[in-house]
Amino acid sequence: MALTLAACGGGSLGGDEGGSDGGAEGGGTVRVGLVIPQAGVYTPLGEDMQQGWELWLEQNDGKMGDFEVETVIADEGESPDTGVPAVQRLLTEDSVDAMVGIVNSATALGVAEQVTEAEVPLIVANAGAEAITKDAASPYVWRSSFTNQQIAAAMGTHLGEEGVGPVYVMAPDYAAGQEVVAGFIEAYEAAGGTVAGQALTPFGTTQDFQPFLSGIQSSGAAGTFVFYAGGEAVSFVQQYDEFGLKDSIPLYGSGFLTEGSVLDAQGESAVGVQTTLHYSTEIDNEANAEFVEAYQAAYDELPTTYAVQAYDAANVLGRALSEVDELSGAAITEALDGLGEIDDSPRGPWSFNNQTPEQSIYLREVADENGTLLNTVVEDLGVQPQP
Amino acid sequence: MAGWFDANLVSILNGFAIGSLLFILAVGLSIVFGMMDVLNLAHGAFFLIGSYLAVTFVAGESWTGFLTALGVAALVGLLAGGALSALTEPLARRPHLDQALLTLGISLIVAEVLSIIYGNDVFSVPPPPGLADSVDIAGSSYPAYRLMLIGVGLVLALAVWLVVEKTSIGALVRASVADREMVSAMGIDNRKVKFAVLGVGSLFATVAGVLAAPVYGARPGLDKTILLLALVVVVIGGLGSIRGALVGALVIGQVESLGRALVPDLASFILFGTLALVLIVRPRGLFAGKVTS
Repeated sequence: MALTLAACGGGSLGGDEGGSDGGAEGGGTVRVGLVIPQAGVYTPLGEDMQQGWELWLEQNDGKMGDFEVETVIADEGESPDTGVPAVQRLLTEDSVDAMVGIVNSATALGVAEQVTEAEVPLIVANAGAEAITKDAASPYVWRSSFTNQQIAAAMGTHLGEEGVGPVYVMAPDYAAGQEVVAGFIEAYEAAGGTVAGQALTPFGTTQDFQPFLSGIQSSGAAGTFVFYAGGEAVSFVQQYDEFGLKDSIPLYGSGFLTEGSVLDAQGESAVGVQTTLHYSTEIDNEANAEFVEAYQAAYDELPTTYAVQAYDAANVLGRALSEVDELSGAAITEALDGLGEIDDSPRGPWSFNNQTPEQSIYLREVADENGTLLNTVVEDLGVQPQP
Repeated sequence: MAGWFDANLVSILNGFAIGSLLFILAVGLSIVFGMMDVLNLAHGAFFLIGSYLAVTFVAGESWTGFLTALGVAALVGLLAGGALSALTEPLARRPHLDQALLTLGISLIVAEVLSIIYGNDVFSVPPPPGLADSVDIAGSSYPAYRLMLIGVGLVLALAVWLVVEKTSIGALVRASVADREMVSAMGIDNRKVKFAVLGVGSLFATVAGVLAAPVYGARPGLDKTILLLALVVVVIGGLGSIRGALVGALVIGQVESLGRALVPDLASFILFGTLALVLIVRPRGLFAGKVTS
């Protein structure tokens, strides 16, 4: 099975499709599978990722190294039930040479074995579970996004050092939520902070946070740290304001709390919320300024971290493909391994460490600038250690 | 005791607000199933139509927008219920599973169409002017809009009960439940009764969707969560009973609010724990209707 797949993977190099002739030096076609959610709750993330991917290709004449890029889009859907078969189809029917994408951590973990067997490199452009590049690590699975702990720990250390007083910790009750809570508490306590209390809310079925908000109030917390995304992020931030906690107990969060389209839905309730993330449109560097301008010109909206993750995945894959002599999984992963620092990313310089980004995490605060809500950068919290 | 009450007053109050909302939602499902024997799994999708209508008419900007959204939602609900009545007519003598499949299919189509029209982003709907602020209750803030929901829920509960129990229309509906054949033998077309009951039942779903928009917002997937809650309420209260829907909704409101506040660690299980408990003690629900199925 593995042999057939590998042979298929090399097939496109031979130029038997699309009439492009083979040979690495003379160019050829690289087929890249873009695995993004096109249905279900993660669809907005998928749209942003596709836009980031396409923007990079447009800026680079649709080429990675000497290869023409042919993108095959596959619908990841909401869960591994749809995501794993989508990846399987890319590997068997579409015989892709590399894959980029995947929002859901369970999907990323679920395809690791197939990807390794097929020897097709996968650059995970969102999923943040630590295990993807640690316990379940494979030489073929790379990541251009973040790990859940990396982002939570940055806030934990920051709040602990600031001495904000006891903090209440909340997250949805599923793998990523638990990772964030663990990562935050460990870093926060190591920096001298005390936890006022914690709660894990039922994932996906909590629309009303009032009971938990009462718990925060009665715990005597001086701050709240949460991890929510999507619809839950909107409900939480709005209700935190409506029930009057916003003015008395400052809200901190993992950056996804106020990232992308949820920020517009939250409106004024989000102003003043501080979060940590590896990207903000307001990061002050040349690459980011150019990126934001190009992105706005192309899509008439501000880029999100999801777009940057796909943009950077295209960037590292492009760099790797400039180095290789032949289009094989082994050659591409070897080239990825030798990339060193990525110095032209909108998020600032970063590099692979254990196949996942070692990068700066930024402290951001939501501000209303002439009617547009933005995540302004308060402070660069520095490069975070990799688990 | 007084201290405990003070500390949990907001949670109790919130339980009534959520309970009111759940009542408006579940009573439609309950009367349609209890009286007309139609299991409508598209109820959650109709609810979501209401929520998106609140987004369309920017219900938070003005009372005109809010009331327009309510009016349009009521109309859409009536029409959707009427259409559903026509669609389920050929299945009247078939088992419930066939109806469930049909209405589940309709709900999937409605959800997909909404996703095509409105995209997949999460929308929030601010409460109408004057209700956007929070009021101070026992030292804690509480959103004024949710207080209004309690009132609306109680008024509607009273109105529905009066119509069903005290008017000739209500008598006709109750008669159709008891013996359809006899009603039609008396010269009344029971398809018309079914048409009307399904219309009104679906109207409750869409109206609940508009009323819930400032609390829950509008987003893909909300229909399924809401349908599940409504089914739990109906099962706890007993099918076809107005009183049952009210009590079931208030119980679930308190469980979801006060229960979760008191035992946050059990938050994921408490809803279905309550359901299981009721089913063990009263398998036909707290107030099972007189319908025999």
